[in-house]
Amino acid sequence: MKRLKINKFRVISAVTLCVFVLVWYLVTAVFGLFPKTMLPSPDSVFFSFIKKLTSTVPDGGTLFEHIFASLVVALTGYVIGVGVGLPVGISMAWFRPVDHFVRPVFDFLRTIPGIAWIPIFTVWLGIGLSAKAAIIFVGVFVGTVVNVYSGIKQTNEVHIWVAQIFGASKIEILKRVAIPSALPYIFTGLRVSLGMAWLGLIAAELLAAQKGLGYMIQVARNFGRSDLVIVGMITIGIMGALLTLALEFVERRVVKGI
Amino acid sequence: MFLKIDNINKTFTSEAGNNEVLKNVHFDIKENEFVVIFGPGQCGKSTLLNIIAGLEKESSGNVYLEDKKVTKPGPDRAVVYQNILLFPWLTVMGNVEFGPKSRGIKKSIRQKDAQEYIDLVGLNGFEKSFPVKLSGGMKQRVGIARAYCSKPKVMLMDEPFGALDAQTRYLMQEEVVRISAHEKRTVLFVTNNIEEAIYLADRIIVMTNCPSTIQKEYVIDLPRPRDYTSEEFLRLRQEISSIVEFTR
Amino acid sequence: MSDRKEKTFWAVVSLSLLTIVWFFASQMESMKTLLPNPVDVFKFLVAGAISPIGQHNIWGHILWSLSRVFVGYTLAAVCGIVIGSAMAWTKVGEAIIKPFYLLLRPIPSIAWIPLAILWFGIDEKSKYFIIFIGTLLIIMTNVYDGVRSVDKNLLGAARMLGAKENQLFFKVVLPSAVPQIFSGLQVGLGAAWATMVAAEMIRSSEGAGWIIIMGQNSVNMVQIYAGIILIGVVGLFLVTAMRFLEAKLCAWNIRGK
Ligand SMILES: Nc1ncnc2c1ncn2[C@@H]1O[C@H](COP(=O)(O)OP(=O)(O)OP(=O)(O)O)[C@@H](O)[C@H]1O
Ligand SMILES: [Mg+2]
Repeated sequence: MKRLKINKFRVISAVTLCVFVLVWYLVTAVFGLFPKTMLPSPDSVFFSFIKKLTSTVPDGGTLFEHIFASLVVALTGYVIGVGVGLPVGISMAWFRPVDHFVRPVFDFLRTIPGIAWIPIFTVWLGIGLSAKAAIIFVGVFVGTVVNVYSGIKQTNEVHIWVAQIFGASKIEILKRVAIPSALPYIFTGLRVSLGMAWLGLIAAELLAAQKGLGYMIQVARNFGRSDLVIVGMITIGIMGALLTLALEFVERRVVKGI
Repeated sequence: MFLKIDNINKTFTSEAGNNEVLKNVHFDIKENEFVVIFGPGQCGKSTLLNIIAGLEKESSGNVYLEDKKVTKPGPDRAVVYQNILLFPWLTVMGNVEFGPKSRGIKKSIRQKDAQEYIDLVGLNGFEKSFPVKLSGGMKQRVGIARAYCSKPKVMLMDEPFGALDAQTRYLMQEEVVRISAHEKRTVLFVTNNIEEAIYLADRIIVMTNCPSTIQKEYVIDLPRPRDYTSEEFLRLRQEISSIVEFTR
Repeated sequence: MSDRKEKTFWAVVSLSLLTIVWFFASQMESMKTLLPNPVDVFKFLVAGAISPIGQHNIWGHILWSLSRVFVGYTLAAVCGIVIGSAMAWTKVGEAIIKPFYLLLRPIPSIAWIPLAILWFGIDEKSKYFIIFIGTLLIIMTNVYDGVRSVDKNLLGAARMLGAKENQLFFKVVLPSAVPQIFSGLQVGLGAAWATMVAAEMIRSSEGAGWIIIMGQNSVNMVQIYAGIILIGVVGLFLVTAMRFLEAKLCAWNIRGK
């Protein structure tokens, strides 16, 4: 009985999606209500996708080359951002003087979106890999620090007391109590930051790049190739989802006991 | 009969297997009687109360209130919960008037009524406070006022003082005696505290371990207010404790 | 209260320290082209508050930016709460909406910019749309989680007290989800502000993002820094306003502090 019900809603989902694609097809390919530059038909998106796997028109790169270029930039910025964000977040939450000095500056800086730094980073670092990685770094750094900070701050005080009673030093409590119990928050931070990295990447590539998925959709727009824009967007979505899945896989491996 | 529990059975089924919780539970309650159900932990007391409330479905058997079969939740029965369950976004007044408000009773009437019950449970002056600001004992007073305010025929109280400290618990027991003398109601009160049972009950129904059935009934006709240290009290306590099977 | 004073004290100390470090760094020879003097940036901001940069003075630019955020954000908040609730509270709603939600969610708001320009041209509508779509999914996610995590026992308690099925949503589910919805609105506002900056940097003729990009085009580092500080200050103001509103609306919730 129960199984039947689940199927009923699955069917509704499937039907809705089919109707959506059908309507899309009808208004574009059959009735031609929209110009090609605004809304491509679903089949032309599909064929563009297949073609783009090998073709370098109009932006000088195949889909895989763009994906690869984007991944390199995003992961570089991400790894550095997490690498710096973790220790900063932990020491802000754990050592009062650091909190006092760094917190206000941080609270101000975090309201500035990573994108706004683009002009400065391009002056400092040019428009190569390092400028884009720096933009991503900003977003990732903020996301990591915020979550790590609140995770450590919420370390159950009871745990800390117990640890103190058993004579653990401050550093030891941090290592053996605070960080492990903050792990779920830390991973939330890593996940949020991954989203930030991907967003920052697209922004950076829209504004300053010669390769990458953001660059690809920007060029496609200039040529009025809405089909390629959508191919690019879907690819961006899929890559973002895959990266998140990979991170969740790691998380399940690490945060077993919690 | 006013409230009739007719041969209730309950088995929870899950992937892990069947869990037979209630077995042939059968008893009657007279109007305005104060009945305490006393039994060991995890024996299905809450489950029984939820079935009477209509929040849980029995596997077989029936519950009749004034000869009408109970099938779903409704304001002719009110529950005071083990974990209190106030609406945290409503003030004390908002919580107490929730029932009448849902039934579309006019504001002036329902608030006057609610005020009466707030006064009765001793929360005068806290009408505008939110639950977070109240102590455990005060929260449960709101729970009791809210239950009375929906004018139920039967009050179902599920270990209402289980989460309170011992001192507050004694105080609340006295309050229940005072309130139920003032507001005559049929009460079904669940507890796993033997003193609480003897202090409050007209009649105690002792349940066995899982799958639980009724083990024995005691009619308590000590005069109120009762004295925890009187000889009769202590004798009853001794007797009932000796037959209950507390397990680990 | 003294806790607050202490916080203010340290905020003043650390921000002043930052400015001093910035000042001395900007005096170094190697930093000449990279880091302008903070005094110049400050002067620029004061001057810009009175006389125009481009077509408007600073207040005009902020107003433009805020009005863009306001339109896209309000629309997203209303739609997000309605659609998110429908997705969380009704099975059919979930079956219909969730596939689209899952498909759209991993696409960052900024990736919509090229398509938005193809659809709506480069005028205001495309900016509203980008801000809308970026904020919508964030708010929807929070509404969905909030509605889903309503305490089932609380629903039972309401039924017990005589609430009818059609009253449950507005009397129990929605109020209990308010803290979570609010945190969605907060995060959403931050995202809307950031998306707006991006949209303005890519195509616009006024606004806070435009100040930065014009600074870049005319190689004016002072203007770039001034624009960034402006964006930070307005962003900080928005966050504070939201916190204030939350404290008012969620007084019943300890976590709402
Ligand atoms: N919804 C449910 N699904 C499956 N099993 C349940 C459910 N509710 C209760 N049970 C099981 O039924 C048994 C009795 O639970 P119940 O809460 O009625 O006991 P109780 O006597 O009220 O316990 P306590 O003294 O702790 O309040 C327990 O073993 C519990 O695990
Ligand atoms: Mg129970």
